[in-house]
Amino acid sequence: MPKEKILRGIAASKGIAQGKIFVYETHSLQVFQTPILSVYLKDETERFERAIAQTKKELSEIKECINREIGEDFGQFLDAQILMLTDKEIVDTVKKRIGDEKKNAEWVYNQVIDNYARKLADSKDQYFKERVADIWDVGHRVLRNLLGMIHASVVDAPTNSILVAHDISPSEATLINAKHVLGIATEMGGRTSHTAITARALEIPAVLGIEGLLAKVSHGEDLLIDGDRGIVIVNPSSSRTQQFATAKKKVIELEKALSPYCELTPETRDGRHIDISANIEFFAEANQAKKYGAQGIGLFRTEFLYLTRRGNPTEEEQFRVYQALAKSMKPNSVIIRTFDLGGDKIFAGYHEPNPFLGWRAIRVCLEEVEFFKIQLRAILRASVSKNVKIMFPMVATYEEIKRIKLIFGEVRKELKSKKVDFDENIQLGIMVETPSAAILSAHLAAEVDFFSIGSNDLTQYTLAVDRGNERVSKLFDHFHPGVLRLIRDVIEAGHQAHIWVGLCGELASDPLAIPLLVGLGIDELSMSPSSIPRAKLTLRAISTPKCSEIAREALNYRTATEVKRFLRRAVHKNFPGIDEIIK
Amino acid sequence: MIKEMITVLNENGLHALPASRFVKLAEKFESDVTLIKDGIEVSGKSIMGILTMACEKGSKILLICDGEDEKEALKALRQILEGQD
Repeated sequence: MPKEKILRGIAASKGIAQGKIFVYETHSLQVFQTPILSVYLKDETERFERAIAQTKKELSEIKECINREIGEDFGQFLDAQILMLTDKEIVDTVKKRIGDEKKNAEWVYNQVIDNYARKLADSKDQYFKERVADIWDVGHRVLRNLLGMIHASVVDAPTNSILVAHDISPSEATLINAKHVLGIATEMGGRTSHTAITARALEIPAVLGIEGLLAKVSHGEDLLIDGDRGIVIVNPSSSRTQQFATAKKKVIELEKALSPYCELTPETRDGRHIDISANIEFFAEANQAKKYGAQGIGLFRTEFLYLTRRGNPTEEEQFRVYQALAKSMKPNSVIIRTFDLGGDKIFAGYHEPNPFLGWRAIRVCLEEVEFFKIQLRAILRASVSKNVKIMFPMVATYEEIKRIKLIFGEVRKELKSKKVDFDENIQLGIMVETPSAAILSAHLAAEVDFFSIGSNDLTQYTLAVDRGNERVSKLFDHFHPGVLRLIRDVIEAGHQAHIWVGLCGELASDPLAIPLLVGLGIDELSMSPSSIPRAKLTLRAISTPKCSEIAREALNYRTATEVKRFLRRAVHKNFPGIDEIIK
Repeated sequence: MIKEMITVLNENGLHALPASRFVKLAEKFESDVTLIKDGIEVSGKSIMGILTMACEKGSKILLICDGEDEKEALKALRQILEGQD
């Protein structure tokens, strides 16, 4: 038996799976020169034509798939790729050179493409330089088909396989078949990469960013993937397999036990209703949100609009996605969060040493006003269905809100003058995720219609801990009394100003945190769709007066450990119904 | 054969999307379409050719159409270069 190996990566999509490794080969294409006898030149040319036709078919399929899954028009960049593929100049040159030089098609094609790619790489303009990647995207696809590589596409993954790759391009990721692929492990990518988003949308476990993965595994080997802890185990021992199978069975049983809660209303034993909504980043996830009984979308992340395509999305493209989502969720509401990206993701050539404290999210939007207005117009136009709200990320100062409202006012005026319909009463809210916004929440509350506490970032900024940094990530704890006191202040400030306050971080779905948050008066909890049934069970097991008592006491402790110990005891004593799921 | 010097007014230059539109439209015409920039000549029916010219906004391009429908071709194609399509 080969020895079992444990490799660590980034937990990108929850769940456990075990299957046979399917290596999707994206690089290591080797093209050799072979002379072709004159009598076979015609065959060689035809072989080249077939590869072009086959590649065209693949690209058209990907395009359709992207348009269907992500949104109309998003597959448009593939139009350019198809044109590059079928470019008459290239096809004719290759055919002519095969005949003149009596060389094999892949060799000639590779040279012709390389020639164009070099010319582009030489251009001064950053945009044109970056198109080299497009050309090679197409070029490699053709070469893989010419070389008859079996694993040219993730579509080829057989049943019960774990997809293993260096990286999976956005266009390829959309082709992953959840009926065949049980899990994904890659060397590149992180929690917000396209592969991660796709895996979560398909509800298959994924561990990404595993260094040196391909060198440590081979095709057909057994791989166990733990998307909760971010590890993969190559050639797991039988006892390990057994242990994971038991864990998986437990998860499935728990899911089954929780499934009736999807349908139930989210209210406490004493009848206090708390909105439970879903955090999603993909239009396709709206169905999951509905399936698990979300009452709306509490956080629609719009970053994918940037990350899955090349170049900035137009107003029309954004509008169609927002409109489709709003229509699909009606009468429930959809809170659209404006771009929460670092400037480096949006503007080519921009880099900074400390992106979390840098030029990101609303800071980018308030400087690149035209860019910001495109998104505001798209959201406003989609608001005609009257169930859309807008939320702004990373606000840290009062001036920022004033400025957002000023720009927002200009966009409204502009739309009105053009007689474009929108919801006049659309609610504006902010994410409270910087300590300064939390501390100044009484002032900020006077300017907006709602708050949504982003507990992950609030914890990171309050405790000054980068949770991605292994050396300090153990200091990250959203039960830290410093964080909890800020949350209390924000809820109080919101209620004093008669606005509602929600929370959309991981804390929202933690059964230990829910009694505390309800005790503090939270109005809405937004979480990943699959966490909703468990949150509903928790809510239906607790009562407000008791929760208020618990919250008062919890905030008096000195450390996160003390808070958690107290909460565990209090929950065990008062709400035995949720004791089981906390374990 | 007719020709005209045109300034690219497209916001981001002749990017992949406008270039795709240009090629698709050029293919609809019988006429040969040629673009010349800084002495480099490419076929207006080749997206690779157009992209390698790297036309930023403001660059000057000589657009040449040659064939039965050259007038219509020139008129339609210049609109894409000028960002009015």
